[in-house]
Amino acid sequence: MSASASLKVARSAQELRRLTTSKLGWVACGLALLLVIAPLIDIVGVVTVHGVAALSGKLFTQTTSGTANGLLNAIEGTFIITLSAMLIAVPVGIGAGIHLSEYGKNRLGGIIRFLSDVLTGTPSIVLGYFAYIVFIIGFGWGFSLAAAAITIAILIVPYLARITELALQQVPNPMREAAYALGAKDHTVVFKVVLPAASAGVITGALLGLAISVGETAPLIYTAGWSDFTWDGRFTHAPVAYLTYVIWTFIDQPDAHSHALAYAAAFLVMLVVLAINIAVRLVVKRTKLA
Amino acid sequence: MKFRPFRVSVLLLSLLIPAALVAVVFFLVAYSGQAILFNGLHFMTQISWNLGDLYSDPVTVNGISVPPGANYGILVFIAGTLASSGLAILIAVPLSVGAAIFLAEAVPHRIRPALSMLVELVAVVPSVVFGLWGITVLIPLIGRYLSPSGNGYGLLAASVVLALMITPIIASTLYDALLQVPKENRESAFALGATHFEVVAKAMLPMVRTTLIGGIVLALGRALGETMAVLMVSGGGINILPTSLFSPISTIASFIVSQLDSAESDPTNMSVRTLSEIALVLFLITLAVNATAKLLSSGALNVRKRQS
Amino acid sequence: MKILNNLLRTGVAALAIATAAGAAHAQTSVPLVESGSSLLYPLFNLWVPSYTATHPGADITTTSTGSGAGIAQSIKGLVQIGASDAYLSDAMVKAHPEMLSIPLAISSQAVNYNLPGVTNLKLSGPILAGIYEGKITKWNDAAIAAANPGVALPDHVIIPIHRVDGSGDTFIFSQYLAFSDAGWAASEHYGTSISWPAVSTAIGANGNSGMVTAAAANPYSIAYIGVSFADQAAKAGLGQAALLDKHGEYVLPTAETIGNAASSVAASTPADERISIVFTPGENAYPIVNYEYAIVSSKQPAPAIGSAIRDFLGWALSDGNNMSFMSKVHFLPLPAAVKALSQAQVDKIQ
Repeated sequence: MSASASLKVARSAQELRRLTTSKLGWVACGLALLLVIAPLIDIVGVVTVHGVAALSGKLFTQTTSGTANGLLNAIEGTFIITLSAMLIAVPVGIGAGIHLSEYGKNRLGGIIRFLSDVLTGTPSIVLGYFAYIVFIIGFGWGFSLAAAAITIAILIVPYLARITELALQQVPNPMREAAYALGAKDHTVVFKVVLPAASAGVITGALLGLAISVGETAPLIYTAGWSDFTWDGRFTHAPVAYLTYVIWTFIDQPDAHSHALAYAAAFLVMLVVLAINIAVRLVVKRTKLA
Repeated sequence: MKFRPFRVSVLLLSLLIPAALVAVVFFLVAYSGQAILFNGLHFMTQISWNLGDLYSDPVTVNGISVPPGANYGILVFIAGTLASSGLAILIAVPLSVGAAIFLAEAVPHRIRPALSMLVELVAVVPSVVFGLWGITVLIPLIGRYLSPSGNGYGLLAASVVLALMITPIIASTLYDALLQVPKENRESAFALGATHFEVVAKAMLPMVRTTLIGGIVLALGRALGETMAVLMVSGGGINILPTSLFSPISTIASFIVSQLDSAESDPTNMSVRTLSEIALVLFLITLAVNATAKLLSSGALNVRKRQS
Repeated sequence: MKILNNLLRTGVAALAIATAAGAAHAQTSVPLVESGSSLLYPLFNLWVPSYTATHPGADITTTSTGSGAGIAQSIKGLVQIGASDAYLSDAMVKAHPEMLSIPLAISSQAVNYNLPGVTNLKLSGPILAGIYEGKITKWNDAAIAAANPGVALPDHVIIPIHRVDGSGDTFIFSQYLAFSDAGWAASEHYGTSISWPAVSTAIGANGNSGMVTAAAANPYSIAYIGVSFADQAAKAGLGQAALLDKHGEYVLPTAETIGNAASSVAASTPADERISIVFTPGENAYPIVNYEYAIVSSKQPAPAIGSAIRDFLGWALSDGNNMSFMSKVHFLPLPAAVKALSQAQVDKIQ
């Protein structure tokens, strides 16, 4: 009797220990999740509060003069740089994705995939340094849109290629085989059958590339330069303004209106980046469920 | 073989990617050749970074023209990079594991997608916005409550910011992996009388261990290359190794950004070539780390196949 | 697929429109970019709007990147006007004989400190050298106490703040240290970028504005800040130190003391105007004074650019040198003789 009684007590003590550890474990994990999400909410909150306070019509109609006035040049510049980079990156990235998915299941494809991953892992400042010495100084372009666009394009092409490849691979093979059976040529199969079927994924990739290029700073510091005016149409020998420059330079100036511009720029950048990423994730979820 | 113009054109497009990479690496190696010769091995072990007397005439050392007194050493920046990334990993791993476990197991199904999206969104915030938040919120916090000298810029600030940026990488990878653990493993653990937490901690986590390690190494690779956020909060330390959590540091990436213009004022151009050597070092470090991550994640597959 | 095709076409069209619009705007003006000294930046930001108001079609962008960047970018032709507190070195002139160092104003630099409750601090070159070398570590060190009898100095570690970017402020500050302290001259020399000695509490900051922010955020710190940021430094609660001049007096930077330093050098300024006004032998002369230079190439790629630069710099030397601009940034206008030399150099720009 006493033996079984003591056995019960021992089990309860151990059970209690395990129960308390488990409860503490869940509390700790919950805390961890909180600590991961809270800073995001704080960042969005701080930037939104200060950024909205700095918003005004002037921001969108005036260019920057020194450290005051508006952000028209920076907004237009970010837009132009992103657009130019995408014009280079989208054809190359999607083309590469097509090759890797359709015709790249061999060793050459493997090498391309591996090197593409290496390029993804390359720090953006290394690419920026490369572009500075080669394009800005070496080719003599000076601070220029061309150099900025090429650098950003090199940065985002691997992402586009990988996402396109993954999206294209989801398309079931019978679709391709049916198209070929009907006598379609390679480009018809890809452009009229496979790519449309995978369009959601491919557009996702393009949007993500766009989000990355809007938020980039390091590769642009030494390639785009800075200009107080809207773009003057020259691809070389003319610097271009961009929003992220405002964020990291103007926050250091010791006056309130520069800080206001920095927060406004941060707000705009974050708005675009978060909007794109949320939209992409919602679309992906919907297609997954469908 | 028939000449297939479409296939050839997409092949050529895809070859542009490795071509770009090869161009970058080739250039870095070629441009830093002279610097590598001049700097030798003590480059990696020397603490002091000395551009030399830029206002005196250049001298010739070993046949290479350099400013007098020029002596380049990057141990400080390697230390800063490794310390900030290492500390960031130390902070990020427990947070990510805890968050992933909680998300995968404890959060009600309905709000799980929203919360997991929130976690992923932390990763897309641009680095420079993290830096802005660091300057506005984090630095005053550290300076007022934590730092003995009242200085908020330094190793701790840089590590915290990096940790926040890489946590989503580890957490999302682990979350996805946890969701893929076969139901049988969970159910059999429950059947053995384990508490919910024990099921996760003792039965599920060990199964995803290799994915977790792969995610950690990937996150490390991202942290090593981070530039802007670290530049804005690290304090710009130079010529001295970090001695405490609050010492100002410089990482390789932030140093390249802040020094490129100063290096340009060197008439012999040796400093610019040395910066190229530094960029090469950074590239090789991140390459090694990312390759390890890749090997781990592909090695895991092989192991599982062999076991089953 | 159609979507992508359409997007691509819209993208190209948008780019084409922007190009045309931009080019149309560019027909009427010559874009100039100025980059460099953060000390000169506030003055440029006063000059450019005023110049643009009276000269429509002027297209001048100002950026604050540090004198080192200003010099380097101007030499490489990345910008048309490089602003610098430092003149070109002999080696630079030898390598690039077409580059001109053109003084536009007289400026100076203060040594600011963040010591709650302490005002009227007196410091000298050797003391500052000791602080930045790590030999003087605490505020109540014997050397500082000797220079400040009767002042209650706290028993606390000093936090020296220096510039990490290539800086003209570093140039003139290190010149003051090198000219007044032989040890510093031998080991660290002077320049826009020097190898700062290892001090465990030292902080690096970017730009003059970064120096103000860092000094304000760190009690017991000391920083060298250009005088165009004196108002912000004062607002941040930073004190201004009186520095030991060559005569053995402690001098604060005022219009009079800066003027005394500048006038002692005005007569001996050479034609290429590369001369230091630091630690001059004048009576009651503030020891850290300098010419603010525009580093410009005399061989511009197009005559239109050359004439646009000449117009602006000529205006800066005449209307721009008005006290209404200078007093806002605590600078002084150039003496007439130096102004003539500068104008002569401006005329060389083609």
